[in-house]
Amino acid sequence: MTDSVVRVDQLWKSFGEVSAVEDLSFSVERGQVCGLLGPNGAGKTTSLRVLMGLERPSRGTAALFGTEVRPGSRELLRVGAMVEQAAFVPHLSGMLNLRLWWEAHGGHIRDADLDTALGIADLGTAIDRKVRTYSQGMKQRLGFARLLLARPELLVLDEPTNGLDPGEIRDIRELIGRLTAEGATVLLSSHHLSEVEQTCSHLVVMNHGRLITSGTVSSLVGTAGSVYVEVDDRERARAVLDALAIVGKIASQGDGLVVDLRDGRRSDVAAALFGAGLRVETIAPTQQLEDAFLELLEMQPGGAGPAGSLPRAEQETP
Amino acid sequence: MIALLRTEMTKAVRRTRTYVIALGLVALPVVIVFALNARGDRGPGRGGGGGEGLFRLADQSGLLVPAAVLSIMSGFLLVIIAATFAGDTVAGDAGWGNLRYLLMRPVPRGRLLIAKATVAGVLIWASTLLVGLAALIGGVIVFGSHPVVVPTALGAGVTGFQLSTSTLLLRVLIGAAYVAFGFTALLALGTFFSTITDSAAGAIGATVGVYIVSEILDAITEIGQIRYGFPTHYQSVWETMITQNKFSSEMVVGIVVQLAYLVVFGTAALVWFRRKDIRS
Repeated sequence: MTDSVVRVDQLWKSFGEVSAVEDLSFSVERGQVCGLLGPNGAGKTTSLRVLMGLERPSRGTAALFGTEVRPGSRELLRVGAMVEQAAFVPHLSGMLNLRLWWEAHGGHIRDADLDTALGIADLGTAIDRKVRTYSQGMKQRLGFARLLLARPELLVLDEPTNGLDPGEIRDIRELIGRLTAEGATVLLSSHHLSEVEQTCSHLVVMNHGRLITSGTVSSLVGTAGSVYVEVDDRERARAVLDALAIVGKIASQGDGLVVDLRDGRRSDVAAALFGAGLRVETIAPTQQLEDAFLELLEMQPGGAGPAGSLPRAEQETP
Repeated sequence: MIALLRTEMTKAVRRTRTYVIALGLVALPVVIVFALNARGDRGPGRGGGGGEGLFRLADQSGLLVPAAVLSIMSGFLLVIIAATFAGDTVAGDAGWGNLRYLLMRPVPRGRLLIAKATVAGVLIWASTLLVGLAALIGGVIVFGSHPVVVPTALGAGVTGFQLSTSTLLLRVLIGAAYVAFGFTALLALGTFFSTITDSAAGAIGATVGVYIVSEILDAITEIGQIRYGFPTHYQSVWETMITQNKFSSEMVVGIVVQLAYLVVFGTAALVWFRRKDIRS
């Protein structure tokens, strides 16, 4: 085992005849904010459940901090997780829910990072109200408070902004950013592409239970489409890029060029332009994550594109 | 384990349902005491076998009221209450979606299940004893705490035996304990059902259903010896301590049968829960 915070290795999970996860492998390194992306039914939540010891894999392994996860694994102490929606004992107050959840393991609530947790929840006096009176947003915030009680090294979040209003979504995004800055590793499952794009540094894309691709967000977005380039000499740039094998069609747009990439990365384009002595003002992907994601899905068997010809994102896993 | 027991007990006790049940368990014996007091045909010479006999004797002494009340309530109302506590053990948390959060910590599943079942067992015992205590207090206030003459029909005449206050009290206490222990099979069944469904109502319904079927089948003597293995078969044998002045050996058999259910369904619940995929 390496020192990956999360390592999923050839994981299979079946429910009778139905296969939810097939041969899934990926890893998340310390400090990464990794998005687990896929359409509904892709196997994201099942993968997270296995990772948290809630479900047993049919084959393969899921490991946290280098140790294979089993129900009740000690490594779970280092993880703060919210799988599906936050849920609590409805007839107890928010505060008592936090206390009982913490103390069930044998600790005392004074050992938890309660001040931080309550600050995150920001529920005011409502923390002493019964949870059944909470809105979904309040429950989600209390859920975040609960997962932060143990000062976790890894956050596992499954659709964390479901049911939240735009303001709450922004708060959660800022919170994830703050925790990451403090050194936490995050594995975040979502099918909200804008959320993933704004929050994550790395991506694992799944469909039909299988890994489609993994890598950095920028590599995924940058390799699967085209780039917009602005240089000091557009015609010379066109000639330089025409000679590159990774470049397809080149079209003029405004002051720059839109360059279709057959393969390769934006950095290859930039290197060629710099190498030719051109001054590069702008080089940016023309497509967003949504385009790349949909393109990836269409290229799957059963999708619109040819099978087995996936654009390869920069592989980040060791 | 103690921490788990404490948290599970807090969750169970701080529930409005628990208070309502407790209130009902106090109120019903009080109502029965009032009903007994309002009855006209008092005095010795009445009796008979089983619960009906206990009920008819109950106004002789307040010490007999808890025996009568437990005899009546252990057949149905206490069954429902015990099934409620047992069926809710795991399925309650699963239904709230809270089970996965309990299990995403380093808490061994077996230990959690045992803690939950223990709390349910404590609540079942507490319910049974609360009924007995409420009936005892109500009965003593209204009827006093006299010794009792229990009539037995011998030939054409009627004779009987006397139970002193202390003897009666001790036997009522043993009876209450036997009634409470008689729900051990139900606790094991309810806990098992609770592990295989995420619906507390489903687990409670299944547990009550098994008990009703057991009682119905137990009444059909043609079934033969198989009835001796039913969880309800020895439910009321404790009453002979009062109605016939004898400790029936069937009480021991009844305890063994309850323990057998505990071992079989308790083990099944543990095995199932440990292997279960938590999807709620």
